[in-house]
Amino acid sequence: MTRMGARLAALGLTLLLAILPATQAMARQAPEPGKKIVRLGVTQAVDSMSPFLAVRLVSSSIHRWTYSYLTVPDPKTLQPSPDLAESWTTSDDKLTWTFKIRDTKWSDGRPVTAQDAAWTFNTIMTVDAAKQANGPAVENFESVTATDDRTLVIKTKKPQASMLDNPIPIVPKHVWEKVGDIGKFENDVYPAVGSGPFIAVEHKKDAYVKLKANPGYWRGAPKIDELHVIFYQNPEAAIAGLKKGDIDLIGRLDAAQFQSLAGNPDIVQWNTPGRRAAYLQINHGAQTIDNKPVGDGHPALKDPKVRQAIHYAIDKQALVDQVLNGLAVPADGSVIPPMYKDFFWQAEGDDLVTHDVAKANQILDDAGYEKGPDGVRTMPDGKRKLEMRFSIHTDTPVEEKLAQYLTGWFKDIGIALSTKKLEPSKFTEETGFTGLFDIAISGWSVNPDPEEILATHLCSRRPTAGGEGGGTESFYCDPAYEKLYQEQLSELDRTKRADIIKQMQKRLYTDAPVIALYYPNNLEGYRKDQITSITSMPEEKGILYGASGYWPVYSLDAVATPAAGSAGGSSTGLIVGGVAAVVILGAGGFFLARRRRSVADDRE
Amino acid sequence: MTAPLDTEPAAAPAAGPGDERSAYRGVLRYALAKAGGAVLSIGMVIVATFFVFRLIPGDPAIAYTRDVPLSPEQLDLLRHRMGLDKPLMQQFLDFVLRTIRLDFGTSYEYKRPVIDLIGERVGPTMVLVGTGLVISVSLGLWQGTRAAWKHGSRFDRVSTGISLVLWSVPTFWLGLLLLMVFAAGVGPIPGIFPTRGMEDIDAPDGPLYLLHVAHHLVLPCLTLVAVVYAQYLLVMRSSLLDEIGQDYVTTARAKGLRDDEVRRRHAVPNALLPTVTLVFINIGFVVGGAVSVETVYSWPGLGLLFYEAIKGPDFAVMQGTFIVVCTAVIIMNTLADVVYRVLDPRVRSA
Repeated sequence: MTRMGARLAALGLTLLLAILPATQAMARQAPEPGKKIVRLGVTQAVDSMSPFLAVRLVSSSIHRWTYSYLTVPDPKTLQPSPDLAESWTTSDDKLTWTFKIRDTKWSDGRPVTAQDAAWTFNTIMTVDAAKQANGPAVENFESVTATDDRTLVIKTKKPQASMLDNPIPIVPKHVWEKVGDIGKFENDVYPAVGSGPFIAVEHKKDAYVKLKANPGYWRGAPKIDELHVIFYQNPEAAIAGLKKGDIDLIGRLDAAQFQSLAGNPDIVQWNTPGRRAAYLQINHGAQTIDNKPVGDGHPALKDPKVRQAIHYAIDKQALVDQVLNGLAVPADGSVIPPMYKDFFWQAEGDDLVTHDVAKANQILDDAGYEKGPDGVRTMPDGKRKLEMRFSIHTDTPVEEKLAQYLTGWFKDIGIALSTKKLEPSKFTEETGFTGLFDIAISGWSVNPDPEEILATHLCSRRPTAGGEGGGTESFYCDPAYEKLYQEQLSELDRTKRADIIKQMQKRLYTDAPVIALYYPNNLEGYRKDQITSITSMPEEKGILYGASGYWPVYSLDAVATPAAGSAGGSSTGLIVGGVAAVVILGAGGFFLARRRRSVADDRE
Repeated sequence: MTAPLDTEPAAAPAAGPGDERSAYRGVLRYALAKAGGAVLSIGMVIVATFFVFRLIPGDPAIAYTRDVPLSPEQLDLLRHRMGLDKPLMQQFLDFVLRTIRLDFGTSYEYKRPVIDLIGERVGPTMVLVGTGLVISVSLGLWQGTRAAWKHGSRFDRVSTGISLVLWSVPTFWLGLLLLMVFAAGVGPIPGIFPTRGMEDIDAPDGPLYLLHVAHHLVLPCLTLVAVVYAQYLLVMRSSLLDEIGQDYVTTARAKGLRDDEVRRRHAVPNALLPTVTLVFINIGFVVGGAVSVETVYSWPGLGLLFYEAIKGPDFAVMQGTFIVVCTAVIIMNTLADVVYRVLDPRVRSA
């Protein structure tokens, strides 16, 4: 081991380190000169390339880029606009939708027909295994038929205003009908046949997805040649990758990550209104779907006055400034963020709840909640103190900080708040099914059509007696809200429907089963030395990656790869690598020399 | 880090000196007894896995469908497909029978058999942790030997000190630091290593591919070595120090043998024994990968798979990985015992 071994080890190490710079230059296949490639960094691995199975956001984004839908949100207004459906009509009873399918081609050259769309919808409606990704989207469908190659007819059980926000990618029937078990097919035959602006050509699990521009795309081929989606397990490494130029665009950053991009001349910090709302979920008397009480929520929270007082105690501006480093908008509305101008509702006048501790205390005093000598109030019947739990997720520094602020403010109004940290699955169970909580943090990303977020506050979404449920956000069950929900669903006039949706939000705001805290900004970053133009959604101050349509990715333009040899980056790399090699060789030589001397010492 | 050796005295009667055949028979009997124990342990791991993962709070079906609104009918269907609607005893039997056939079920996230997922990721993990193990064993043994031989010297103090500091540094933090400095580049230091993964999208084919992977391997491997080589150094150092005090070393020196010959021929071989155990046990952990390192560098190995599964949570993947790693550790532990007995006559005759 000793002398010889050490020498060999030293030599090996030196050689290894010396060849690294060369490796750096060689180990990358030089892309063809003149090619435009954009590399997108994501921090979520693709769960499945099958549009029937994928549930993760990154996978559904890739499907948005590789498949067509009946309609897409317009990049300017976010209103539904033609995609695979060129135009559509509805029957007088609002139950039958007729779509005219565009005359275009699949990426393998076969024509796209209404039969493809009908097959896609029918498969999800009839095959259990295909329901995984988009099952709920077809629940209200009575039948889907193709009356000819260009005409698709969808009959619904009840009117459905959100029909034009259908999230289902249309797949080619001629490829998919040969698949045996849809629940097991990974759609990993490349190039995957689609009709979107890009074609998936390669996927390495937990590593990357390679997309190529679809030259036959009906809107015209994208300006770039390739789009690489590169997976980083660790967001910090992804940030490093962006700074270094390994990737060109990254989205879904948190405040600290976003701020670490500041000062880099090559990077554009993209800070825009987000599509998410963060709110408190209040256990105001959780009930099952058959109106039986469930859980152990604090009885005082059943009193709307207490919920209102809590609302007054919260300083939303302080939360935005202190917890989110100013990268959010305080919520003066409800569950739909201001990004959706058409549907956003903002409290005004008497409705508006501001940060007012005196008023909060006044409300509680008037309602008979008396403060004890310890500063904590008791119920009017004197039976129970206002001591409550605040449920948050484990390992979420933002929520922990939020809890500290809330605890302080609640103390000011005589409510003792203790923080309860829960694992994600336990959190979901206690706040969504068993009702074992008082106040919990919650939040939801909202689609251009807000139907889903509104539905999370319906009576029918409450859990069954067996403790199972369909995803309530608040255990809310309010006849007025239900009525408005049904009304908006059958209102196909967008302006009128928006009015109804605003009334629903007002109801949520004033009744306070949930209290909106803030709307986090959408934080992204991209390299301007690589990406020369990109259009966000909506066009003015909108989202890039993670947008609800393919527009930003489709509109990308980038710098073309320079001809081999003239690349500044690689020559710098070589020089630097050379210097590093010299230093390492020098160090290695020094090490060997010392080694020789010490061996000589031993010999004496 | 080191699991204690099985200290139970060998049940077999000591083999008489010179009787080779009975000595082999003794070792064989010992090995069989150990193998039996290992099989029993693996069985217990399987049983424990079933119950431990059911103790995790939350209904797996609900946990799986987090953020996806489902009707009670859909949930029932899911439970049925996951086999959660059967009586517990039935579920347990199914689980054991399937596990014996190496069927760990289907991943919810990836919709693929867990055993396939594990199979795909064993390779990258072996490359990373295997290389790390070879380097850290060589470096640790070499430094440990030198440190012990010249104990109290500056080399001893410096190398022991550095290794202890590196050992106490959180792996995740060290990995991130190296990534920031050598992959992203800080100030005048340019980033010369990749920031992620085992290969890039434009990886070349053929022999250059090996270079490509080697390039990606440097930082993860360096992180791993920095954190784990200290234990080899320390074990080697202390066991060599023990040997140095022994009479035979003094005798060898008194005979006039050269100092490095005494070290190489006499002391080191005897001092190597505890390290053998350590190496074997660490080979067991190779299969488990290095969760932190793989997470920092997005290295597509078993550690990353396990980490992703926890985030899911993807119970089938968690269970499968857990059983595979435990089994590897048990097997390696058993091998270590047997090899130790073969190598060290003292254990044989004890």
